[in-house]
Amino acid sequence: MAAVTALETAVKQSHRQSGVPSGGAADGSQLLTFKLGDELYGVDILRVQEIKGYTAVTRIPNTPPAIKGVINLRGTIVPIVELRTVFGMPTIDVTPFTVIIVVVVREKVMGLVVDSVSDVLTIDRQDMQPPPAFGSRVDVSCLSGIAKSGDKLVALLDIDRLLADG
Amino acid sequence: MSNEFEQFQDAFFEEAAEHLAIVEEGLLQLERHPEDLDLLNKIFRSAHSIKGASGMFGFDAVAQFTHKMETLLDLLRSGKKSVTPGLTDLLLKSTDCLKTLLDGVKLNAPVDDNVVQRLSTELAAVSAGEGERASASSPTAVAEPPASSGGAYDIRWTPPEWLFRRGLDPLQIFKELARIGRLGRVNVDTSRLPDLNNMNPETCYLSWTMRLETAASPKEVESVFEFVREDGELSIEAVAVPDSAPTVSGADVQREAKSATLEISEGGPKSIGEILVESGAVSKEALERALSQQKRVGEILIEQKAATPQQIEQALQTQRQMEAAAQAKKADTASIRVDTAKIDKLINLVGELVITQSMLSDLGTRFEMGQVHVLLERIAQLERNTREIQERVMSIRMVPIGTAFSRFPRLVRDLAAKLGKKIQLVLSGEETELDKTVIEAIGDPLTHLVRNAADHGLEMPEERLDNNKPETGVIKLNAFHESGNICITVEDDGRGLNRDKILAKAVKQGLVADGAALSDDQIHALIMKPGFSTAEQVSDLSGRGVGMDVVKRNIEALGGTVSIKTVLGKGTTFTLKLPLTLAIIEGMTIRVGRETYIVPMLSILESIQPKPEAVKTIVGNGELIDVRGIYLPVIRLYEVFNVQPEYEDPAKAILLVVETEGERVAVMVDEILGQQQVVIKSMEQNFRKVQGIAGATILGDGTVGFILDVRGLLEIARQEAAAADAA
Repeated sequence: MAAVTALETAVKQSHRQSGVPSGGAADGSQLLTFKLGDELYGVDILRVQEIKGYTAVTRIPNTPPAIKGVINLRGTIVPIVELRTVFGMPTIDVTPFTVIIVVVVREKVMGLVVDSVSDVLTIDRQDMQPPPAFGSRVDVSCLSGIAKSGDKLVALLDIDRLLADG
Repeated sequence: MSNEFEQFQDAFFEEAAEHLAIVEEGLLQLERHPEDLDLLNKIFRSAHSIKGASGMFGFDAVAQFTHKMETLLDLLRSGKKSVTPGLTDLLLKSTDCLKTLLDGVKLNAPVDDNVVQRLSTELAAVSAGEGERASASSPTAVAEPPASSGGAYDIRWTPPEWLFRRGLDPLQIFKELARIGRLGRVNVDTSRLPDLNNMNPETCYLSWTMRLETAASPKEVESVFEFVREDGELSIEAVAVPDSAPTVSGADVQREAKSATLEISEGGPKSIGEILVESGAVSKEALERALSQQKRVGEILIEQKAATPQQIEQALQTQRQMEAAAQAKKADTASIRVDTAKIDKLINLVGELVITQSMLSDLGTRFEMGQVHVLLERIAQLERNTREIQERVMSIRMVPIGTAFSRFPRLVRDLAAKLGKKIQLVLSGEETELDKTVIEAIGDPLTHLVRNAADHGLEMPEERLDNNKPETGVIKLNAFHESGNICITVEDDGRGLNRDKILAKAVKQGLVADGAALSDDQIHALIMKPGFSTAEQVSDLSGRGVGMDVVKRNIEALGGTVSIKTVLGKGTTFTLKLPLTLAIIEGMTIRVGRETYIVPMLSILESIQPKPEAVKTIVGNGELIDVRGIYLPVIRLYEVFNVQPEYEDPAKAILLVVETEGERVAVMVDEILGQQQVVIKSMEQNFRKVQGIAGATILGDGTVGFILDVRGLLEIARQEAAAADAA
């Protein structure tokens, strides 16, 4: 869990540096990146409230499979989304690296289950491009684009659309 | 100049409401004891307080109106006039009007000037001679800005940089301008605004351009800026107003001025017509002509014979009620007054909690196995502290129900006068405390019940005398605690519910089949069905068939129940059973497979472990359970929620007999784990409503458990059954 704590600090620092929520966009975006299998995904760091170790989730009856359930986050009920299910990947067992990324979407708090968090990256605007079209074969509707960071490819998550689907 | 006082305004409204209540209560008593001078003085003092405070806050209309009331009260007090029923009636009406005026100011909503004007004329006329001259000055005259038939000014204003440092607020200026005329098209220039890094939050970087239509002289306009002229830039240019400039009546202007201030403070969107007129593309007359050609939906529907005028009227009525309710809700963000003693106790308890916590953490740092008993002792202490704090905090929200009852003396008085009946209202149990939110929510249902009792329940005086009953009917309101719930009864000694009449009407309306044999309870449940009314004539009081179903829905939304007891010819009693609070409920924790759920205790009647032969099926898959001779439908919770159960055989599982909206069903679960109080947490806050789940709670082990909504379960089960049938 030491890695998680270090990242939390990074998240907090970037919140502090950027001052206002809209401030960070001028010179590019800071992203919190995480892994699903071997793929790297990024979410705008200003939307991230916290990173949390995996805890037991209470299943909500009669909800889509991607909604894993709800957890108790310091007294509030927070829905948890299984990102692997959203992208149609097979689910895996919880590992010591499995974490919940708590994000804020339209004033609602929700948690995303991911395989592991990796890094906070700053990516320039010009390194970003719109999501490629795969036709019906691959659903990219939850992505706002893709970006290049070094030799890594980061898929940028559009979490607003993500929750709208859930 | 009201802005500086904004933070005190809430307190003002709260106090004004209290004073109004005193005035109203006093006036009602005055009817019975016209000679009571103490009472008059009390009323006078409260009216005077309202006048003084509203004057201070700049609510001139309120102050002026109260002044007129006060004049009359003063005449009564000094004995120059004597109290007559007509006068108290007028004063009571004025109190209502004052209430609307206050609400108007509070919600920034327009008030019907006609009523205000008529009443203030009447008040003035009654107190004429000793008082001021009648009717000459309308109460809103002061607040009314001069008609905009005069000129218009283009104002460009760059305030001095020190504006904020000296505690001045530009909004104040705009409000002042809106007062002397009609303020349109206010544009703000933000070009001088630096980067956030370089910005000094105490420096004003903004400047404004605006168009002011007013009859005031340039000097008067300039005087608005008097305190902010130094160092700033100000140019006021008179401009010609287009010929089509509307000459509107005073009332219109006032409303527009109001909307103008609203636009400034909230920046709300304008209607297309407004924008067109402001940009000069369309003249105001043209717009009004166009608008007058627009027809209301209702009229169109009537023309096309899609609906009858009565239906439209009813729909409009409902709409008005909904609007009123929405407004009331908006106003309901009110604060709560708490006894300081309660707070002191709470602070003491929190102190104890802190001590216990530090003792525990101290123990934790150097813990040895031998100290287990010390640990347990301190944990027990912590538990005591927590429970006590919980009780105290809950008690802060507890308010005597008398506040909800206080409106009824007036209501019953007015109803009696309107219906020509003699009614005595008896209140008891006013000191019974319950949660403030519950009190707020039961106000309307109670009003419905009292109205119904007066209108349908009680007979006319002659009819009562014919039936050997005292001429005066009695409506009793009582509140008391009963096993962790609060019971409120509304009792009348009227004609009682007529079983045959209800049944006949229900058959006629197609609610039940002809010849159906119904139990008394089922008959009584009928009157709570939407659209049901036995009143032969629809009056403006009741008989529309909305009412009882609303009562039932509201009470059930609070987790309560409504029951009826009636004896033909002797009277009817409605009993509302409500939880003491909405934040915590008593629940039964149950288990299905590996999932834990909570069922509200209030809806559970009993739990049974059925014999195998007690479960029967009909038409193949509809399951019924025999509970002492009555067959109840069985809902298998695991089927409804799609979870893996431990038992699929009802004989091994537990059946909870629950009641919802008068309907009983048996819910099949694996095991009952226990009974506990649970704190209700919102699911909607971060997610959405889930059918069959009323809310969530945190269980003892820190995980989330769901509170079941029995009604919702029933609906899911029926949908599934219907889907199965269709397949």
